[in-house]
Amino acid sequence: MYLYNEFDQTLVNERVEQFRDQTARFLNGDLTEEQFRPLRLMNGLYIQTHAPMLRINIPYGLLSSKQLRMFAHISHKYDKDYGHFTTRQNMQFNWPELERVPDILADLASVQMHSIQSSGNCIRNTTSDPLAGVCADEIEDPRPYCEIIRQWSTLHPEFSYLPRKFKIAVSGSPKDRAATQVHDIGLHLKKGANGEIGFEVLVGGGLGRTPVIGQTINAFIAEKDLLSYLEAILRVYNRFGRRDNKYKARIKILVRETGLDKFKEQVESEWASIRHGDLTLSNEEIQRVKNFFTPLNYETSTNDALEQHLANSGLFRQWFKQNTIEHKQTGYRVVFLSLKSPNRAPGDVTNVQMEQIANMADQYSFGQIRTTHDQNLALTDVKTSDLYALWQQLEKQELATANIGTITDMICCPGLDFCSLANASSIDIAQGITDRFTDNAIDTGSISLKMSGCMNGCGHHSIGEIGILGVDKKGEQWYQLTLGGSDSHQSKLGDRLGKAIAKDLVVDAIDDIVQVYKSNRNDNENFANTLQRIGLQPFKDKVYDAH
Amino acid sequence: MTLIKNKKITQDNWHYLVDGQALQTSHNIVSLSYWVENKADLISAEAPLGLLVQGDEELTNFANDLPHFSLIAIEFPTFADGRGYSLAKTLREQFKFPNEIRAVGDILPDQALYLTRVGFDALELADDQLAPLALSKLDEFSVFYQSTPSAQ
Repeated sequence: MYLYNEFDQTLVNERVEQFRDQTARFLNGDLTEEQFRPLRLMNGLYIQTHAPMLRINIPYGLLSSKQLRMFAHISHKYDKDYGHFTTRQNMQFNWPELERVPDILADLASVQMHSIQSSGNCIRNTTSDPLAGVCADEIEDPRPYCEIIRQWSTLHPEFSYLPRKFKIAVSGSPKDRAATQVHDIGLHLKKGANGEIGFEVLVGGGLGRTPVIGQTINAFIAEKDLLSYLEAILRVYNRFGRRDNKYKARIKILVRETGLDKFKEQVESEWASIRHGDLTLSNEEIQRVKNFFTPLNYETSTNDALEQHLANSGLFRQWFKQNTIEHKQTGYRVVFLSLKSPNRAPGDVTNVQMEQIANMADQYSFGQIRTTHDQNLALTDVKTSDLYALWQQLEKQELATANIGTITDMICCPGLDFCSLANASSIDIAQGITDRFTDNAIDTGSISLKMSGCMNGCGHHSIGEIGILGVDKKGEQWYQLTLGGSDSHQSKLGDRLGKAIAKDLVVDAIDDIVQVYKSNRNDNENFANTLQRIGLQPFKDKVYDAH
Repeated sequence: MTLIKNKKITQDNWHYLVDGQALQTSHNIVSLSYWVENKADLISAEAPLGLLVQGDEELTNFANDLPHFSLIAIEFPTFADGRGYSLAKTLREQFKFPNEIRAVGDILPDQALYLTRVGFDALELADDQLAPLALSKLDEFSVFYQSTPSAQ
């Protein structure tokens, strides 16, 4: 993985000192809350319902065991012994004290991490495919390009006071595992006619109040032009994006109001002025970064031991089938660690679990851990002969719930319990769904369920096959259901099922939906296909007739 | 008025033209509309002239007149409005504007460094007392991933 040089390290160290000074001036009363706000947000610090919340970047979802141990340390020393993994490859701590945040940032800097621009109206953490470098269908490893984008966007002087937040995701495979179509900019690595590397550029996607699927603005730009093209888009957005209404300030609204063709014209005219300038990436620079992501030292291994364990243990077999997938290297598997056990809120992990995962990564997976868009973790390079031993350790830590891709593997925001924006709680609904389906999640099949506690959509409800959105009705918590969304390579927004449902009936309604699916599916037909075949009506009838 | 120019606190010898008042003999900063209406007179005066524009002003509205100006002042309506950064960067990088580009309006000491990184060489803080703090903020970072546009 990428390792900081002296230059990178100096920058994050100086950032810590800058924030230490800003925090001290705020606490002395020299900075007003209004003035301090963008400064703290650009260091990932929110003021939440109970306490500040600190969001830390995990660039393109890649963590070393040392970095994960630092998260464990921070959660123990400054927080309540746990942390929360988000959908955008961030770690969130919900209980730090403002006075101690500069010390947390210093601890993070000591392991080459930071929270720079993890919030605020600026370019956020660049996210990517958690299977980058290990999946068989990859065109090109996206991580070096993500690192190049990370550096370009970090402390970008021109783009730190944008109309609104700005998110970039990069995918290197035809199968999109990074939700690139619902990002302000989505980049798909492509190969040109002569094998040259480039990107298809999507723009204007996003969730939130007005969910939009991104559109292609340029079908192929060469890799050397990556940064100049990004800069052109950002400059047009910074100049023309709306600033009169924060709900209309994202680039998706600008693209919609301007029209894609005219927006493209503006971007490409800007690009023409800067294209061959100092943002052009040299082969040497690309290669320098690529050298940090060379293939790992894989060993040859046989599947004999694995076959035997699979034959002997039903539970292991179930976990293997549900929570591991193929690796491009024979003799290795990708292992997902489910952060959706029945006993914890989705995405939450304790300091003890983090310590243990770091140890397992060192022992079995080259000391690296990935975070996924679905709020799980992955050890991506595990020898098949080690799988049984790893599974036993994961079981002990409640990280082997065999539910990856099932209805209990849901995406869920922190909701009203923590977030000052939320209209309704998410965690207790998640708990209700988990309780209802834990025993038959695998039998229920592959269903993506995503839930947000308000229309800002941090839980990505719009692109869930089943989406749940918390709304406020005269001070009461109600929930709006949508069906048929997708975050796959052809992303799609879900359709509204009908009127909102009272809190105590939500789990029953989800159960009804699952029953309609199960009684109508053909053989192994998945939820999306059954829904497409029979339409929304049978689901409507069941849910609304019953209640 | 205290001004930070080229990393030093200096005295400002420019004057903003106030509506209804007469021009000074030299070093006037005029609005875009005043410039448009009085172009011929201002050019014939042959004195150093400055132009005040808002951060969201269309560059094409004054790009052809750039050779007449010894100074462009870009006004920030609020510190959170980042349009002036792109305007300054474009003036320096694409139009190669060689003279002073000054940030005025609602700018904070904590923004001083970013402002100078996009091409502003003069910062006019609303509160004179904040100038030393803003000056100290210019040295907060010794390394950057982005290049700074030069006037040359």
